[in-house]
Order: sequence, then C-alpha cells, then structure tokens
Amino acid sequence: MSQGRNSSGGSRRNHRAYHYNNKNKVNVGDKGKEVLENINENSLVIKQFRAYAAELDSKHDRYERIVKLSRDVTIESKRIIFLLHTLDKESKRDTVLGEAKIRLDAMVKTLFKNIAHELDGQDVYEYLRAYRAGVQEFVEAITFYQYLYDNCLQDWKDLDKSLVYSVVDKSKENEDDQPQTRVICTPVIPYEYILGIADLTGELMRKCINNLASGNISSCYQTCNFVRDMYKGFLGCVGASGKEVNRKLYTLKQNLAKMENVCYTIRVRGSEIPKHMLADVAIVATEEFAAEDDEGYQVY
Amino acid sequence: MPEEISSIFNSFQDYLNSESELREEIRDIVKDIEKSARDILMILQNIHNENTIEENIIVSQYCKKARELFGDVRQHYGKLATVVTPDQYYRFHDQWRFVTQRLCFLASLMIYLEMKILVSKQTVAEILGVQNSREDGFHLDLEDFLMGLLQLSTELCRFAVNSVTNGDYNRPIEISRFVNELNAGFRLLHLKNDMLRKRFDALKYDVKKIEEVVYDLSIRGLKPSVAPAEQEAE
Repeated sequence: MSQGRNSSGGSRRNHRAYHYNNKNKVNVGDKGKEVLENINENSLVIKQFRAYAAELDSKHDRYERIVKLSRDVTIESKRIIFLLHTLDKESKRDTVLGEAKIRLDAMVKTLFKNIAHELDGQDVYEYLRAYRAGVQEFVEAITFYQYLYDNCLQDWKDLDKSLVYSVVDKSKENEDDQPQTRVICTPVIPYEYILGIADLTGELMRKCINNLASGNISSCYQTCNFVRDMYKGFLGCVGASGKEVNRKLYTLKQNLAKMENVCYTIRVRGSEIPKHMLADVAIVATEEFAAEDDEGYQVY
Repeated sequence: MPEEISSIFNSFQDYLNSESELREEIRDIVKDIEKSARDILMILQNIHNENTIEENIIVSQYCKKARELFGDVRQHYGKLATVVTPDQYYRFHDQWRFVTQRLCFLASLMIYLEMKILVSKQTVAEILGVQNSREDGFHLDLEDFLMGLLQLSTELCRFAVNSVTNGDYNRPIEISRFVNELNAGFRLLHLKNDMLRKRFDALKYDVKKIEEVVYDLSIRGLKPSVAPAEQEAE
C-alpha cells in the first residue's frame, strides 16, 4: 500500500532528476531498466511471485514425471501388442500368452503403481492429460490379450480395480507400531477406456488378416463379428462423446469394412482358390480401402 | 459375448449422460457468473472516461459498484462449489476457466484503483468467494490468477494512454512503476510452453507502450515535478 502514498521527501530529488533528464537524452526503455534495477528483492510483489513460482514448478515437475511414466507404459504396451501378433500357431499359444501376461502384470506392479504414487492426494483430472496416452495404449494391450485368451472384452471397472494399490503409509509409521496402509490408485477414466478399445479394433483387423494368411478361417468370422458388435456399441454413443471418439469411429468403420470384405472373399472365392492363395486375394480386395496405419506397424 | 459388449457400452452411455447433465448444470451457473463479470467490466470501463481525473470518483463510484457486483459473483461461485465435488474440479475446469481469469483481472484492477498495489492470490480468492488452495475445496487455480494479472497489464496500458489524454500526467508514471514490478515478478516464474507463456510474452509490449507514454511526457517537460510513489523505491 505504501507505493500509493505521495512522498513529499522525494520532490526535491525528482526536481533534480527532471533537469537531468532535460539535459541528457532519455531513451525509451531507460525508465523500465531503472525501475527493474531498483526493485527491492524483499518487496511484497516479488515475495508473492516467488511463492507462485514454487507452486508452478512443483506442478510442472509432477506433470513431467507422469508424462515420462506414461511414455514408458506406451512403449511397453506397443511391444506387448507386437508380441501378441506373433501368435499364429496353436502350439505357440501358451508361451506367447504367458509372456504377455507376465509383462502386463509387471507393468501394473511398477509403472502404474508409480503413477498412482504421483497422483496420490492430487486432482486426477489435473494430470489426466499427462497419462491418458499411456492408459489408452495399455487398455489396447490388455484387452487384446484378453480377447486372445478367452474372446472376452474386459470391463473398465475390473481394469480400474486392478490398478488400486494399498501402500504402507510412511508418514504415520512412527506413531504406531502397526504400519498404516493407505489406498492409492491410477483411475481408468471410462472415456480413456473407450478410446483404448477403439484402437483395439485396429489390432483385431490385423489379427483377422493374419489368421486368414495362416489358414485359420473360422476365427476370421469370429473376430469380424466381435468388431461388428463393438461398432454397434460405438454407434450408440456417437455424438454425445466428443470429437475424439467420432474420429476413432471413422477408423473403426474402415477397419470393419476391411474385415467384412475379407469374410466376403472367403465365402465367395473360398472354394475356387487354394487356401494359401486366398489370403493374397482377400488382402488385395481390402487394399482399395487405403490403409491408415496409426502406429507404423505393417501387416503385409 | 455380444451381451457383454453391449453392457459395457450401456454403462458408458450412462456415464456420458450423467456427465452431460452435470455439465449443463455447471453451464447454467457459469452463465450467471459471466453475466456478473460483464457488468463489472462495463462499470470499470468508465475509468477511461474523460471526466474521471478525480481520483475519488473512480474509487467511490466505480469500485464501490464493482464491489457490490462481486457479491453476486461470490454467490454464484458458492453454488458452483456445491455442484462440483472437490476431486472433479479439473474435470470441468474448462467451463469456468475463462470467466475466472476475467474476474481475476477485474478484481486485480479494482484493487489497483483503490490502493495501487498488486493484489495477492489470497485476496482474489476471497473476493470471488472461493478457496485459495486446492486442499480446501473449490479453489482459485494459480494459472487462472496469473492470466488475470496479465490482462490487467493490458488494461493499465490503455489506462495510461487515456489518462494522458485526459490531462492526468501522474498516472502513467505510477502505472509504469506498477507494471514493471509485475513484469519483474513474472520473470521469476518458470513457464512452460503453454497459454500462460504466450500471454506473458505479450506483457513486454504493454511495458514498452507504457514506457513510451512516460517518455513522451518526459521529453516534453510534462512529467509532473512531484511524481508520486516513484521515489519510494529508491
């Protein structure tokens, strides 16, 4: 408040400065520089801003840490999806699924737990943008695994439960001999889950074509039906769910169309062409739908 | 299997519906807040009028009126706080972000006109009737507050120009001091490459413009011999 008061003591000095200014040239910026140099480090404004800076820094740091973890989740999830695509023979099934399961569990136990630690006591939605990409990719990987394992789609509520941890609360340990436990979690927002399973259809489309190439025709139909059901579900939510879902739905529709074309080719020409050539024909038929690859993974 | 999928999507639909209902409820309250913010803005725009050289008109009339209107704002925010649970603040933050920034600007302008000091976040939170820190419930986001302060600098830049037109040569010098201090404060922050950063980058043009006004006054000998406030920092 003191800045507002007129100080009579300053008038003489200012008078001098006024003449000084007239004698020597004043440049634009001089005034600003002068004020800036004279700013008292202990002034209220500076003190306030130091506190603001500390708050902003701690928020940004936390955000960056979560982004890092999320990136690790994304990379590992992509690798697991790639691993799951190598499943072409029934004999490989146990080894591939087993390894995928171990790696998924490891992610839940380490990376997601670390995210949960960062989110502990925070507003989840404030940091949602930092980890949503990772969660979506993880949903894609785990539902893909689930589909290959028992042809099911895992609900987000189950998924959410799997990412809840109880941890020993160190801060309260001293007061009591019994260590206190506390529940922390990485929430799976339904919206992110839905975006994740929209990406899943892309994987299922690849899987369908791979199955055809390896001669597993019945699973082509099955996968196609599965995706068709999902498409139906998406249609029920369209419009109300925002731009991102609508964009994914467009891709989903293309994926489904490719799979339906494959099924058509199998039905119409299945008896004319030997099985190992059928795949090529079906793939050619789908190629007219320009393949929009979201992750640079090549099917062919 | 199809039942399983459709049940997932059904619960997602329910989720979307309840969310959009909540959003609409918030939207209605935010509309009221926006209305109050516009009213306050219109009142405070009067400071640029020709006949407001008199300091006490600004404070006694405009600031008083603005303070009354902030009473409505407090009520609306109180209502908003009952609708939005504390852990969902950032889920719907976008809906009231801009109006909150605008109100931070208006509150800081009002305080500046009254007392010529930079308002603290705590005070703005009190004026808006919200909490200062996140732990206490519906709060004032720090970045929104800072955005408000950056809007203040732009308005004061205009105010400096119009003050000269109206024959008040003291005010630009006061404003120059104030904005420079604000600028020094902002330089202490480590900003990310976000909206706040972009808005901060515009601050230097306000500083420059105000300096030009002060410069014009200086070289023409219009700078008043008794420059208030300016001396105190030295």
